[in-house]
Amino acid sequence: MSKRVKSERAEQFWRGVTVSEGLALGRVLRLHGGATQNVYRATLEKSEIECEVQRFKAAVELARKQLLGIKERAELALGAEHAYIFDAHLLMLEDRKLLDEVELYIRRERANADWAVRVAADRLLAVYAEIKDDYLRERSSDIEDVTRRLLDALGGAPHERRLTRDAVIVAEELMPSAAAELDFSHVRAVATDAGGWTSHTAIIARGLGIPAVVGLRELYRHARTGDEIIVDAIRGEVILHPAGRTAARCREELAGMRPAQRGALQVAGKHEPLRTLDGVEIILRANVELPAEYEGVRRYGARGVGLYRTEFLLAQRGRMPTEDEQCAAYAEVSALAGTDGAKVRLFDLGGEKIGADEANVERNPALGLRAIRYCLRREDVLRTQVRAILRAAASGRLELVLPMISDIAEVRRARRIIEEERAGLRRAGHEAGDVQIGAMIEVPAAVLMADKLARTVDFFSLGTNDLVQYLLAVDRGNDDVADWFRTLHPAVLQSIKRTLDAAEGAGIPVNVCGEMAATPAYAVILLGLGARDLSMTSASIPRVRRTLAGVDAARARVIADECLACETADEAEELVRVRLGTEWAGLFPPGSLPAPKPRP
Amino acid sequence: MLERRVLVTNRLGLHARAAARLVRAASAYQSTIKLARVDGSVAADAKSILSVLVLAAARGTELVLTVAGVDEDAAMAAVCELFERKLGEERD
Repeated sequence: MSKRVKSERAEQFWRGVTVSEGLALGRVLRLHGGATQNVYRATLEKSEIECEVQRFKAAVELARKQLLGIKERAELALGAEHAYIFDAHLLMLEDRKLLDEVELYIRRERANADWAVRVAADRLLAVYAEIKDDYLRERSSDIEDVTRRLLDALGGAPHERRLTRDAVIVAEELMPSAAAELDFSHVRAVATDAGGWTSHTAIIARGLGIPAVVGLRELYRHARTGDEIIVDAIRGEVILHPAGRTAARCREELAGMRPAQRGALQVAGKHEPLRTLDGVEIILRANVELPAEYEGVRRYGARGVGLYRTEFLLAQRGRMPTEDEQCAAYAEVSALAGTDGAKVRLFDLGGEKIGADEANVERNPALGLRAIRYCLRREDVLRTQVRAILRAAASGRLELVLPMISDIAEVRRARRIIEEERAGLRRAGHEAGDVQIGAMIEVPAAVLMADKLARTVDFFSLGTNDLVQYLLAVDRGNDDVADWFRTLHPAVLQSIKRTLDAAEGAGIPVNVCGEMAATPAYAVILLGLGARDLSMTSASIPRVRRTLAGVDAARARVIADECLACETADEAEELVRVRLGTEWAGLFPPGSLPAPKPRP
Repeated sequence: MLERRVLVTNRLGLHARAAARLVRAASAYQSTIKLARVDGSVAADAKSILSVLVLAAARGTELVLTVAGVDEDAAMAAVCELFERKLGEERD
């Protein structure tokens, strides 16, 4: 009988939630945010006390400088809404209550500064543990974050984390400050015990195409810096200490993958035109909101920006941005997009985003005063935004998208205002660029009127997410009706087809900019329906590119036509699963197609 | 010394961001600025974020604001105004 060898290096397996797709093999770099750093007690000689107090003050100053830098970077990358927390951290670090207590403890107890900091912080944390309000009690994590930064500074730990090229960040939870200071260009993957789709880490990881899996219970406790680790953010798995065979298999899989699937940095041939097997050219553009996503536009070879969501400009500042601030932001996006141009969508704001007075909170904000309706009601806001876009367009290619159009009268009113502002700018001696004007097609009424609408605008932007919501009367945010949100519902496909045909008839282009385009199987159906211009989160571009380069537009058309004729969403999904799975089996691994329906 | 009652009206209460604003505002004055729960159970130095957070003032909490010092009138006006503006939390 063979003796079981107890080995620390046995392969360990975790299942979690993928928040950013990809595959990576690398070495663990643990980041603080987990188990308490060990702090030891030392008793000082009297003569050493003054020196220790000075050491503490120097550490506070170092930590303060780090935080100021982090705050600045976070404001740029994520906006003031997300960066405010660092202002609170700074105030904690400058708080006399904490500083005096540490200093007093050092002097009275003749303790080393590290120990004094830990003791003072623990006393504070004990007070917070008593707080009854859940939200406020959670602020104790901020105190812990500041404490650890201070302890790091005292330990003289090199602040700039030198990341090896194969670093896989493992953390209990990537605290905001840690996430903001990481140099993500050196990170291969991220794996955390806690976290979810909307955490800052997830947003950044998706924007940069770094594989990330969260919800891995106790991974942090088991992983040691330097351990080999596989983050499989395709299957939502993490393997720590992979056995030789497992690692070899992973390397093989990585070698066989296009870089995009690895979530890696370089994408071969990304600047060449994308053509289907039968030579139909497809344009892939990027949807952009946060500055953190700009890098991805260049990295994945997007043909410009298909949808720039301007709402972030407001969220970033917590107030309406001025004309100059907007103009600078649009010029930056236009420079990023280059000759392919950027489509700037007017503020898609509704009651929930502009912090409406609580007294008149809308019962049904999705159907309320939002997007173009809000813009036309608040003409001052609209005019400011239009001027900023026109001015920025003087030095780059920008197009303007009117969101949530349901009536041609809205287009006419918006056009008149745009022309008035253009004339006003010229009178004032400003340069105003030429800007094409498009309508967002997301309301069923716009689909039904598409042939007439197509003659009043220069292009269509087809927003599939909202179109599905409005067409099927399903709230996107309500889990209880998630089963009714069916992208392949024949009514949705017919609406897309009708819109594409109307645009073709009028000779205007259509950009499909909902997340539907980011799902390879759906992208093939869009191709079959006649779409030639898609935009999506930039990290999805390589995957969709690879899929569309491997299919045949004429055959996609046959499949799409069959879907259009289906009676139910189930039927259409089943058809897509079977037909794509047999026509292009190599392109559609299990899990990338709609799930098979249970037989009744 | 001046004393007035103020009400926390913003949705999240005196949480980190709101507390940070309060501390920044209070720190601009020389006067001693204190906030206390009406029942006297907790008192806080309005210039210390750690102290303010311990007030655990959720929405609807009434607090006693006391200001004492050379610039107490201006300090009182500024802090009261901040509370009236829902601690700068709700936008217009």
